[in-house]
Amino acid sequence: MIKVALIGNPNVGKSLIFNNLTGGKAHVGNWPGKTVEKKVGKCVYKGVEIEIVDLPGTYSLTANSIDELIARDYIVKEKPDVVVDIVDASNLERNLYLTLQLLELEANVVIALNKFDVAEDLGYEINVSELSKLLGVPVVPTVATTQGGMEKLKETVARAAKEKSRRRIIEISYGKKIDELIAKIERILQKDENLTKIYPARWLAIKVLEADDEVLKIIEKSPCVQEIVNLLPEM
Amino acid sequence: MSEKIKELLGEEAEVLLAEKRYEVISRILPKVLKGKKPLTRSDLLDKAFLNKYLGIPVFLALWWALFRFTFDVSAPLSDLIDMVFGRLGEIASMSIQNEQLASFVADGLIGGLGSVLVFIPPIFFLFFGLAILEDSGYLARAAFVVDRVMYKLGLHGKSFIPMLLGFGCNIPGIMATRTIDKEEDRILTILVNPLMSCSARLPVYVFIGGAVLGGYAAAGVYSMYILGIVLAVLMALLFRRIIPYFKGKPSAFILELPMYAMPTLRSTLAHMWERGVLFLKKAGTIILLATVVIWALSAYPWGAVHSGDEPLIEASYVGFLGHAIEPIFRPLGFDWRATVALFFGFVAKEIVVDTFGVLGLGGAEELQQVFNPVTGLAFMAFTLIYIPCLATIGVIYRETNSWKWTVFTVVYGVVLAYFVAFLIVGIGGMLGY
Repeated sequence: MIKVALIGNPNVGKSLIFNNLTGGKAHVGNWPGKTVEKKVGKCVYKGVEIEIVDLPGTYSLTANSIDELIARDYIVKEKPDVVVDIVDASNLERNLYLTLQLLELEANVVIALNKFDVAEDLGYEINVSELSKLLGVPVVPTVATTQGGMEKLKETVARAAKEKSRRRIIEISYGKKIDELIAKIERILQKDENLTKIYPARWLAIKVLEADDEVLKIIEKSPCVQEIVNLLPEM
Repeated sequence: MSEKIKELLGEEAEVLLAEKRYEVISRILPKVLKGKKPLTRSDLLDKAFLNKYLGIPVFLALWWALFRFTFDVSAPLSDLIDMVFGRLGEIASMSIQNEQLASFVADGLIGGLGSVLVFIPPIFFLFFGLAILEDSGYLARAAFVVDRVMYKLGLHGKSFIPMLLGFGCNIPGIMATRTIDKEEDRILTILVNPLMSCSARLPVYVFIGGAVLGGYAAAGVYSMYILGIVLAVLMALLFRRIIPYFKGKPSAFILELPMYAMPTLRSTLAHMWERGVLFLKKAGTIILLATVVIWALSAYPWGAVHSGDEPLIEASYVGFLGHAIEPIFRPLGFDWRATVALFFGFVAKEIVVDTFGVLGLGGAEELQQVFNPVTGLAFMAFTLIYIPCLATIGVIYRETNSWKWTVFTVVYGVVLAYFVAFLIVGIGGMLGY
């Protein structure tokens, strides 16, 4: 069975894609201990069962709201085989922000470029293969309202799940100075296997720099925290 | 240890990293995206409404238009209701034989409650106008425009919607602060929300302003709303400065702007009714009950009050109460009747008007004996700022879950109200009033 998580900004057509993929049949419950709704559905592609979890719609993956925390905790801890990032093709600039954060989380991302028809009507021309090359992830144009691109999306998800271990990880550069600092913190964090077993080290390092409340709580217990505190005044 | 890291980094690193991510995106976009989004009508409107320089003036102009609309359209209707109640009062006092019952019906029920019900038209028209702004999609833009200013002033951008709702009623306003993620930002927004002039205070402004401010009545009422906003901002700034709990900057937020749409009559009316009906419910319960209590306190002891031809309210229990508290308010130029009105207004602000009605000060001429333009304005300001109503205090306690913050809100409100009213009277005095 392939485990897939759906994520995307609010109003990108995520629910519609969830319904298209699962045929509308979903098990609805709550995220453990939270009042946020959790929807899980299933579909089958060429004999392979795919379990689909609908994550809350978010613009970002900070620790500032419950929705964002739920989404990122699921990706980090449950480690779904594929994360389908639904991107509004008519509003790439805002939507790619979440995509970059997913890449930082080292999720196995497949982009569903939804509302492709709307983008074309607005006069946009999107170079899908170039976008795929630059981000290092498969990109599938979709039109959720007419079920367009759904078969292709399933096929791409199945393939991405199979090739999971071969995926290329693209690093986002924050400029030389910050990159060096991230690398330093990353090296310190890598000494603690308990951490790197669960969390991508570079992601942790970035979140430490952002003073992310949850991540600071996580590294608090690590023996390497003192070394990081000593390092920071160098900034 | 993590506290130390936070201290060393602040929030600057987070903002810097976010900016860098957008830089990465802006490098990717030209390589994959061709063509420019055509300007839709929505974009054109936004160019004006969200403009750096035009945004705020447009917001203030629309707000002013809303108030003019509210008062101009509702004035004849209010006059009509006023006339009907006046006539009813005369009929009641003539046709009811029992003296005490006649006084209860004419002075208490019709005089007191009637003076509040006159405000059904302005309140409903205000909500009607607000619903149009909301349904058209402008209100979210207003939030966006005001956020720029608010952020600089130390208030969270998401506080705008709770503050705006506060104009209707502080209770939904305070409850709407739940959308604010950071607890400090949220409590701060709750503390200053009562300064947003809710619709219950509107009757007081119209009542007093209409009687003593003459041609400047509408401007006086409008200025109360502005005063509330200015004070809310000043208090937020002050609290951020002096209360260690609120130190730091508000967190940033993203607001989705809905498409502009032509408001439909049906949904506009539905919105208006939803909020306006709360006023009717309040009039039928709390205000009615208060009317009875205030009438009783002002009509008894019966013998003392009704010894002469004209009832002497000063000899009643209300008279004792008013005279007892009056010295505190003497520097503000409020007499014992105004003091009593403020005292009962603690339950709900409309009761201020209700009390004047029961005390026989329902008309403009009578009110002019109590207030001059300056003390009238000071009284309006005091009503705006002091203790939010009883129900609001309850909600503040529930939402902050702390007696400390609840008591704090009440105390700072009264102190600030006294201070501002004193200032108005002082400045007015220098100008020769």
